[in-house]
Amino acid sequence: MSVVAKLDEARAARRQKTLIAFNAATLRLGGKTIIENLDLQVRPGEFLCIVGASGCGKTTALRLAAGLYRPTSGAVTFDGEEITEPRREVAIVFQDYGKALLPWRTAAGNISLALEASRVPARERGARIEALLRKVGLPGHADKYPTEMSGGMQQRLQIARCLAQEPTTLLMDEPFGALDAMTRQGLQDEVLSLTEASQTTVIFVTHDLDEAIYLGDRVIGLLPHPGRIGIELDVDLPRPRDQLATREHPEFLRLRRQLFDFIKATEH
Amino acid sequence: MNRTAILWRVASVLVAASFIAAWQLVADLRLVSPVFLPGPDRAWAALVRGFSSGDLAGKLIGTLEHMAYGWLAASIAGIALGALIGSSRTMRAYVAPSLEFLRPLPVSAIIPVAIAMLGLTQGMALFVIAFGAIWPIMLATVHGFAAVEPRLYEVARSLQMSRAAIIGKIALPSALPDILAGMRLSLTVALILSVVCEILAGLDGLGHWVLLSARAFRSADLFAGVILLGATGYVTSIAMSLVEQRLLAWQTAAR
Ligand SMILES: Nc1ncnc2c1ncn2[C@@H]1O[C@H](COP(=O)(O)OP(=O)(O)OP(=O)(O)O)[C@@H](O)[C@H]1O
Ligand SMILES: [Mg+2]
Repeated sequence: MSVVAKLDEARAARRQKTLIAFNAATLRLGGKTIIENLDLQVRPGEFLCIVGASGCGKTTALRLAAGLYRPTSGAVTFDGEEITEPRREVAIVFQDYGKALLPWRTAAGNISLALEASRVPARERGARIEALLRKVGLPGHADKYPTEMSGGMQQRLQIARCLAQEPTTLLMDEPFGALDAMTRQGLQDEVLSLTEASQTTVIFVTHDLDEAIYLGDRVIGLLPHPGRIGIELDVDLPRPRDQLATREHPEFLRLRRQLFDFIKATEH
Repeated sequence: MNRTAILWRVASVLVAASFIAAWQLVADLRLVSPVFLPGPDRAWAALVRGFSSGDLAGKLIGTLEHMAYGWLAASIAGIALGALIGSSRTMRAYVAPSLEFLRPLPVSAIIPVAIAMLGLTQGMALFVIAFGAIWPIMLATVHGFAAVEPRLYEVARSLQMSRAAIIGKIALPSALPDILAGMRLSLTVALILSVVCEILAGLDGLGHWVLLSARAFRSADLFAGVILLGATGYVTSIAMSLVEQRLLAWQTAAR
């Protein structure tokens, strides 16, 4: 059996399993039902994208998976265990990188925060930090403060800090929403290569339908008031993805059309 | 230093020099009786004499000690209490009204209370100085802790940081600019109250020196004391800004 076939088999086996599961999860906040009866299974190693109109509950769903919220009824589980608190193996990349970084710590210091929390001995931190900065394309910026970095660099830094947690799962909330198109595409490819290499499971929230299809193994569209699943699309596009070839693929265009129609229908 | 900075520095020195010259002129022309107003020459001579005979240095150290102990006690208590109140919304809701009542209370009003309870002692001075100096620090700390970016607490949660680590690595550094600003304000308050307490309780220090000199009509000695007090305020405030610059270097890195 070839290596590729073995990998495919391993991947198929993993597909059967579930890492994160929403079981009829409902969340009420301030007397309002934000998420209702959400059923969703995320497989280990899967790249799941969530799209939907503004205010439909994407962030809230992600926060449930993160353990930052607990469902009012139903359950959200990680590896079969109910999620009650955030856990170190699940890292969250926030959209507002400017607020999620410590302005009084340098790039190296911000990454160090995660290493300190995982009790990595001080003498090992330097090398780890350097490797992480290189990994996200920020070598030589260790001593810069976040305010001295561009938006794209700050978001790279936040991703590096998340990777320092050595997460098995990444939760990303519109991580590239505030970045320009070129920076965005570069970071998309970086996230794909980083997560594919380590088989990281990803839940990725975005406004950008093209981005969702480009990155995802599967795309979920949420319906608003209250948030629930309105559409679910498997993305059978070849990997590795390519900014030009993938976006011109007939299947990409078909999915894009389907998703656009869905979003348009939900918008009024 | 660039050109304009040098010009500003020169200008400020010129202003100070012309101020001293005017003072000398007023004294020499005897516009004010020399019994009340010595010239800068006589004040300077008194200053030198005071130091060489050893008296004045001791008084200066006395005042610095009162100031330092009171200010440090105020800082420790103010930061601790401020952190406690500022980091909890319920605490803020319960305690804030009492703070608003106590804060505008002039410290001079509690001096008789302190004297009645503690007598004319060092302990009374320490209490009064600390009580007066604690407010700017505590209120600044409350504000600093209340204003910590909530996102950072979520980062801390997702890293499963301990409570101590959250306070030490997130809340305190985030509140530090506010805390330092409060500590700087308190420095002045502590100096003023040190002098007041020394005058009222006859404690060894520049306040006492100034009082005795005034009573004996030794105006040159009086002015020497006042000049030293001004210098103390000036130097401590400069030292404080150096500390601030060092600790808050990240704020200036932005530009
Ligand atoms: N803490 C809260 N209390 C009450 N309502 C909330 C709270 N947080 C969010 N909501 C409401 O829940 C709904 C979903 O919010 P959420 O932030 O999850 O939407 P979203 O899909 O992420 O939107 P966007 O695309 O704009 O980021 C919104 O209508 C919002 O007003
Ligand atoms: Mg959102």
